[in-house]
Parts: sequence; C-alpha cells; structure tokens
Amino acid sequence: MEEIQRLSPNKITIEQLDKLRIDMNQRAKRRKTIKQISLLFLNVTVALIILFPLFYAMSLAIMPSGEVFSTEFNLIAKNPTLENFKQALTKIPLARFVLNSFLVALSITFGQMISCSFAAFTFSFQEFKGKKVIFMLVMATMMVPGEATIISNYLTVSSFGWLNSYKVLIIPYLTSAMGIFLFRQFYMTFPMSLYEAAKLDGCSNIRFIVRILLPLTKSAIGAMAVYTFINAWNMYMWPLLVTGNNQMRTVQIGISMLDSVDSQSITMMIAGVVMIILPSITIFIVGQKQLVRGMFSGAVKG
Amino acid sequence: MKKRIGSLLLSTTMLLGVLAGCSSEAGTKTTEADVKESVATTSTNLEAEKTLESNQSQSTSAGTKEATITFWHSMGGVNGEAIQFLVDKFNEENTNGITVLAEYQGSYDDAINKLKSAQIGNMGADLVQIYDIGTRFMIDSGWVVPMQELIDADSYDITQIEPNIAAYYTIDNKLYSMPFNSSTPILYYNKAIFDKAGITSIPTSFSEIESISSQLMKEGGASEAIALGIYGWFFEQFICKQQLNYVNNDNGRSDAATSVEFDFNGGALNIVKAWKALAEKGYAPNVGRGGDNAITEFSAGKAAMTLGSTASLKQILTDVDGAFEVGTAYFPKIKDTDKGGVSIGGGSLWALNNQDDAKKMATWEFIKFLVSPQSQAYWNAQTGYFPITTKAQEEQVFKDNIEKYPQFMTAIDQLHDSSPSCAGALLSVFPEARQIVETEIENMINGLHNEEEAVAKMATDINRAIEEYNLLNYE
Amino acid sequence: MMKNRIVKFFAPYTYLVPSLLIFGIFLFFPFFKTIYLSLYKTNKMGQAKLFVGLGNYMELFQSKSFYNSIVVTIIFVLISVCVSMLIGLLAAMLCNKSLPGIRFFSTAYALPMAIASSSAAIVFKIMLNPSVGIMNKLLRLNVNWINDPKYALICVALLTAWLNSGINFLYFSAGLSNIDETIYERASVDGANEWQKFRRLTLPGLSPILFYTLVVNIIQAFQSFGQVKILTQGGPGESTNLIVYSIYRDAFFNFRFGSAAAQSVLLFIIIMTLTLLMFRLEKRGVSY
Repeated sequence: MEEIQRLSPNKITIEQLDKLRIDMNQRAKRRKTIKQISLLFLNVTVALIILFPLFYAMSLAIMPSGEVFSTEFNLIAKNPTLENFKQALTKIPLARFVLNSFLVALSITFGQMISCSFAAFTFSFQEFKGKKVIFMLVMATMMVPGEATIISNYLTVSSFGWLNSYKVLIIPYLTSAMGIFLFRQFYMTFPMSLYEAAKLDGCSNIRFIVRILLPLTKSAIGAMAVYTFINAWNMYMWPLLVTGNNQMRTVQIGISMLDSVDSQSITMMIAGVVMIILPSITIFIVGQKQLVRGMFSGAVKG
Repeated sequence: MKKRIGSLLLSTTMLLGVLAGCSSEAGTKTTEADVKESVATTSTNLEAEKTLESNQSQSTSAGTKEATITFWHSMGGVNGEAIQFLVDKFNEENTNGITVLAEYQGSYDDAINKLKSAQIGNMGADLVQIYDIGTRFMIDSGWVVPMQELIDADSYDITQIEPNIAAYYTIDNKLYSMPFNSSTPILYYNKAIFDKAGITSIPTSFSEIESISSQLMKEGGASEAIALGIYGWFFEQFICKQQLNYVNNDNGRSDAATSVEFDFNGGALNIVKAWKALAEKGYAPNVGRGGDNAITEFSAGKAAMTLGSTASLKQILTDVDGAFEVGTAYFPKIKDTDKGGVSIGGGSLWALNNQDDAKKMATWEFIKFLVSPQSQAYWNAQTGYFPITTKAQEEQVFKDNIEKYPQFMTAIDQLHDSSPSCAGALLSVFPEARQIVETEIENMINGLHNEEEAVAKMATDINRAIEEYNLLNYE
Repeated sequence: MMKNRIVKFFAPYTYLVPSLLIFGIFLFFPFFKTIYLSLYKTNKMGQAKLFVGLGNYMELFQSKSFYNSIVVTIIFVLISVCVSMLIGLLAAMLCNKSLPGIRFFSTAYALPMAIASSSAAIVFKIMLNPSVGIMNKLLRLNVNWINDPKYALICVALLTAWLNSGINFLYFSAGLSNIDETIYERASVDGANEWQKFRRLTLPGLSPILFYTLVVNIIQAFQSFGQVKILTQGGPGESTNLIVYSIYRDAFFNFRFGSAAAQSVLLFIIIMTLTLLMFRLEKRGVSY
C-alpha cells in the first residue's frame, strides 16, 4: 500500500504496474505461507505435548528397570530391551484376552450404533406423548454412578444364569444415553422438511434412518463408534465380576494380572499397558481414513 | 441471513440424498444378518462353556475321590506365574483324579468383594486366598470350613507350620485358614550411602534413625534419610513392636473388638510423635501412601533407608540393578526399650463350605500339597514370601536361594525372634481403619493436625466404624 | 382405520424399546434398589438391615468429610472440563485447515482416548514421581506432585482432562465439519478478522455439539474414578476424595452400603439439577 502512495499516479508505467501486481501476489502468497508455517508449528507443539505421556510410556516399556529407577535424565532408553514384553507375555494369555475384548467391544459398538440411532431418530423426528419425560429418563441413566448398580446387576445376571459368557459382557452395554444424546444433537440440525420429503417419497422410517440419517451423520457415528469401542475395550470392574476364568477375561484384567503385590515390576506393567494400547491405536489408524474423511470433507456435503 | 442460505443449500443436497437413498433397497439386510451371525457365534461359545461345566459337575458326583475344585487367588505377575506352576504340578501329580482350576480374581480388594457378591449369588469357589486384614470378616462370614477341622480329620502334624505365622490365623487354638503367602516388613538400607557417611551400625529404633539421619544426608549424600511410606500396615507393626494392643478384647482375638486401644495405651502417640519428628526435620519427607512409592525412592538411590515387605526384596534388587549394595535389617522399634516383634502380613487360604465332602477332601489335598516343603521352597525362591513350613528350609532350592539372596536371612531371623504373642490384631473394619490411619498421618505431616489431634481423630473415626459394624452384624 | 391409528400412536415407542429395555433392567431397576437401600443401614453383605429413613442422608449432611468431597468434586469437575474442552477445541481448530501432515496430527489429538483411565494413571504415577519421574527432571523442579495437597487434585484433574481431550477433539472436529466453509469465505470478503469469524460463525455453528460436549463432559467428570483409585487413593488427607471414590470406599470396603447408596442418590440429584439447568440454557444459547 505504501508503495502505491510513494509512486505518484502519473509516473506509473504498465511495466511498473505489472511488477507491483506480481509483488503483491507474492506477498499474499508469502503471508499465506507464513500463516501455514506458524499453524504447522503450533500443531507440532500441541501434538508433542499431547503425545508426550504416550511416548514416555513407550520409552519406559523398553527400559530395563534399573534405568527407570534412577535420578538421571531418562526420557529415552539407553539400553532398549524387549525383555519387559517377553516377561509380560509369559504371564498372561494376552492373545486370548485381546480376542475376547475385540469380540465384546465390536458387538457392543455395533449394537449401540443401531439402538442409539433408532432412539435418537424417534426423539428428533417423531411426536409422541411423554417425549420430554422419556428423554430426561434416558439422560438420567448417565448420571447413575456405576458403583451403585454393579452389585445389583451382578445378582440380576447371575439369576439369569449368564455368568461367564460373552453375552453378560455385551448385553448390558447395548445402548447408551451418550450415543442417543449425540445422535439427537446431530439429527436436530437437519430440518424437519427432510423427513417429510422422505415420507412423501414413500421412505419407511427404518430406511430413512439407514439410508439417509446414517450416511449424513458419518462423522458423529465415527466418533461415537471409536469412543464406544474403546470404552468397551477398557472395561474392568464388570468383566472381573461376571467372568471367572481366563477363557472369558478381557484385556484390562490382563493388566492387573501383571501386578504382583509386594514385588511390583513397573516396567513390565507398562509394557502390558503399551501392548493393549497398540490394538486400539491400530484401530484408530485403520479407521482413521474413514473417520478423517468423514470429518474433514464435511459429513453433510460428502 | 447467511445461515439461512447455508441451511437451504444443506436441505437441497440432503433431499437429493433422500432420493438416492430410497431408490436402493439392499443394505439393511446384510447388517441384520451380521448381527444374527455374531449372536449365533456367541451362543455356541456359551453352550460349549455350559457343557464343559456340566461335565465337570458330573464327574464330581460320580467318583467319591475325583473332584474339580476352583481356587480363587489374587496373585499377579511373578507370584501368579509361580502359583500356576504349582497348580499345574498338582494336577499332573495327584493320583486321586483331582483337578484344580486356579482363577485370578483381581487384587485382594477385588477378590474379597467378588466373594461377597458371589456368595449372595451362590456361585462360589472352593478355596480362596484372602488378605490378612480380611481374617475377621471371613471368620464372621460363616462360609468357611475352619482349617483345623480338616487338619484334625487327617491327623495332620501342625507343628510343621511356622508357629509365628500360624499364630496370626489361630483363634481359640483353632487354625482358621492356612497361611500361604506371608511376609513381614523389614528395614532396607543403602550400603553405599552408609559407607560414605561412615556409619557402621544399622539403626534399630526411631531414635537411632534420627541420630544418624543428618550424617546420612550431609556426608552420605542421601536426599532423605528414610523413605517412610504412609502405610497402615507399618503403623500396626509399630504397635506390635511396643507389645501393645491395637484394639480391645485381646486385640480382637478373644472376642470381636468393640473399640481401639492404641489411643489410651499410648502406642499411637509414640508412633506419630516419632514419625512427625523425622518428617519435620526433613529426614523422612512425605512419600505418599502405601509401600510402593517409598521403595521407588530407595531404589532410585535417593533414600538411605526404607521400610518394606520381605517379599519386595527381589524386585528391589532388580530395580537397583547393582547401582549400590542393598542391606537388610530388623524392622525398627519406636523407642529403644521396645521388646516386641513383628507380626505377619500377606494372604492365607480359606476353605469354603460348599456342602460337598468330595470337594472338601480335594481342597484339603491341594492345601497339603501347597504347604509341603518342596512346594514352599519353590514358592519362597520364586516370590520371596516366607516358606511357611519349617522343613522347607532343608530343601536344596531354599538353600540355593539363601545363598543367592543372603539378605533374606534377616527376614527369617526376625520372624523366629518374634513370639506368637505378637500375633497382631483382628478387626472387622480393618480396611477402613487402615485408611483412616493413613489419612490422619498424612494430615499430621502436612500440618493440619498436631500429634494428639491425629491420634484422637483416628480413635473416634475407627471406633464409630466398629460400633456401627457391630450393631448391624452381631445380634 | 382404528388399527391404523393405534399403530401410528405406538410406532414412535417401538424405536425406543431396545434402549429402554436395557436401561430398565440394568439401570433403573438397580437404581431403585439403591434408593431403597439408602433408607437403611446395611450389614456386611450389603443387605438392608435396619430402617433409618433419611438417617443416612442426615448423617451425610452433618459430615465434614462429605462437604469436603463435594467441594473437591466441584473443583475437579471445573478444572478437568474446562481444560479438556479447551484442548479439544484448540486441536480441532488447528486441524480444521488443510495442512501437510494433517492425518498425523488428527490421530495424535485423538489418541489419549485410546487409553484406559487406570492405565494412564499407572503411566502418570511414574511420570509425576518426584525422584524418578520425568516431570521434575524436565522442568528442573522438585515438586512432590501427587503427595502435596496443593497439587494432587490439579494433577488428577489434568490427567482426566488429557484423557478426555481426545474424544472432545473428535466431537469438535465432527461439529466443525458440519459448518459450511463458504460462509467463512464470504465473511473474509466482508473484511471480518479471525476472532470475529470465530465469535460470529464458528461458535454458533458449533453450539449444538458444544452443548453436547459440555453436558457429557460434566456428567462424566463427576463420575471419574479409576485415576483417583490408582494415583492418590483420595489422599493426601482427603484432598482428592471425590464423591465417587468415597462411594466406592463405603460400598466395597467400609461395610456401609446404605451410606454409599445415599451418596449415590445425592450425586445423582446434583448431576440431574445441573443437567436440567444446562438444558434450560440450551434453549437460549444453542441454535440448531
């Protein structure tokens, strides 16, 4: 801008004007690059901070324990070893636990997506008596502390004869108020006319949910599915209570099986933690293509 | 305005989507099939489990001797590995057709809670490992077959069991449960720091610790003289050392305790005063609750001494990794004049009454195997818990282990130097009592209360818990 | 005709049946049992033994320790919710632009959610250890993070914030992707600066998901438990004795199931009131 003022208008030639235009374009470009670089820099910083505990855990997992118990700076293992992992694997049947957790978490995720989208559909697109009260009841289930219900639920499932089975791990978790609430929040952003148009078109409710709502809320479903899966993956108290033997046990119990009272090996426990995080991270990276595409292309447009 | 345009755009794109969505019919069906399939696989798995279980129960009722028993334990890590080895060995070797299913049930706390729920729901184990402070609860529960009954029925020679260990689980001359993983606390010290400070005599009491502390820190280079974990178990041991009672009714042994005694017999005040003195001078800073954090300080070479379970020895040596030499000594006294010993901690095995004689006998056979000298020598070498059978000390495995870890001898000597009269207290609300003691010691170190207030608060809180428990649980 | 109307009347409910059935068996039923038990003193098995009416509640209202738990819980919820939402929002904004390596960053921001609270607590326990932990070594400090009542609660809250930031990032990203990009371009043409764009466009567009995240975060923060159990066990003193932890202790160790039940009911009422308040605000602040 200053340059334009400095050059008096009558002296401007076409070449100068061209040069100026190129100059300004370059500057805008440069400004954009600077913005990009600073954004990148910011991203790197934040990512480093967030990833730090994970990185530290990985690092601890490959350290011999003598290196951990030292007052020296020990962010990176000096003598990396896989001994901790080997030790952990001889102590627990990890493969079986991973399989169990996988089956359970997958079934729960799948079930929740269906039950929650059905319920959320009703809450957002249907009118019926007691809608508000029922919705509040559903919300209320989130506020009940798990500690208050777990023993009573144990007695219930044991009277059903469900102990020590996959269904006892899955069925109580086949729905969640959080999922219903999340889907409702997304459905509420769609205009009612959408539903009415579909109805006119002869679309049944179920088909409306499956063919229209589900694809339109891909990103929310992705987020919820990942969250549900990981929550199921991380269950501890309930599986411990309702399963008895290693055949039915899940990964979090595996971690506690690495902890020996009076002679706790921290490095081995952390190796265990790292090993059971790995499958969830893999899910992330595999599912990420879907997840990120859904999220960044914009669910509605995509 | 802009928003409205946006949403208009939105709805048009979505309407297009509607039409596209409705024109195709497939999609839903496959997913339904998927659900069915996954349900089906789950239920077949279930059937398999069930048939397995029914097979087991059939074989139990068929033969008088053959039986399958379930053993619940809380041993993870190396301990868990050792227990599984013993169980496998028993299953292979026993000639009576007994099969033991060992099932890990979480930490001690988790296991006792699971047992509580399972007993209401009638799906229990035959043998269960319970921690020391759950002893009174188990006796009161009415679920157990006292170990003495099994011992008497078999005319088993009980003198093989270390008397100082058995004493803890003996009430009215009846052994209620079989000690299994027993340990006592000892003092660990860093020989390098002691040498550097030129200290040769290892302290035996709090006053001795106090007198060498500044030397250890100034000349020995320790950041703290002693890492003193705030652990209710240590507090109980200090009471034992003073030969005082924790609770009334002979430490809860002649009858269920009705109140604590440590407040008016002065025991607690001695402890917290000595503790506060070390803390105030910076010799024993707050390292947090439980034993683990303190051991971390010690293993890192920052603390010249720490208190810890004998069973921690091996892990400490692994973590120190030769950075300095680790010495062991007796658990310290509060006052120089104290003459008491230590009591044991850890877990013991409880036989549950399932109205099935075959299972009862099978359980007893398995217990006998676990406490046999060979098993105990192996158990000791793997885990660092005491061999509870005296004869185990004659086994070669034991001798080799002592040679490798001479520090362990301190623990054995300390145990033998104690007397069965230092058996320790039994208390129904022990888990809560421990938590109260730990909270109040913490509050005292952080300057919220003085020593007298801390003891008074411990006593009132624990007494209230006892009173409520007794009111609701004893008629 | 009549049949048709009946079908029409009941149709909406049928979609709720699976959810309500499960809620009924595994949440409402046990919770009614909890309310019932809260009126009793229980024996060591957790069975109702002595009817005391509102006695358990009266005891709580006279207990210093319970008030302490409430205060501690509120501070904990405030810190953990604010920080985790801020991190989540910041990460989502940073990631919403086209940048090289965006996939890596988005995975990084979402990753904390992959970790169970107890596993994370094990890692943080070493990280914050005053002697061997990396925290003091990096910052060249000598702070007793977990055992100092000044820092313990903040540490637990920050751990929780870290854990929840991952899912918040996902929620916010999902929300941002639903905002039409073209409105930003138009705003730029109109000469709006970044802050104005954020204030006038991003926040309103994000409001439904912001509202959801706030509600869910608050509800969940009230129930955080695993990290306290492993990191501090309610200590030092009672400085991290969150209500849920106190419920856990009373229900499983202290043979006071009645009192634990009463605390559960009170906690429920507290969260319910807060949620109702938030839903009242929803009508004003959230634009669908």
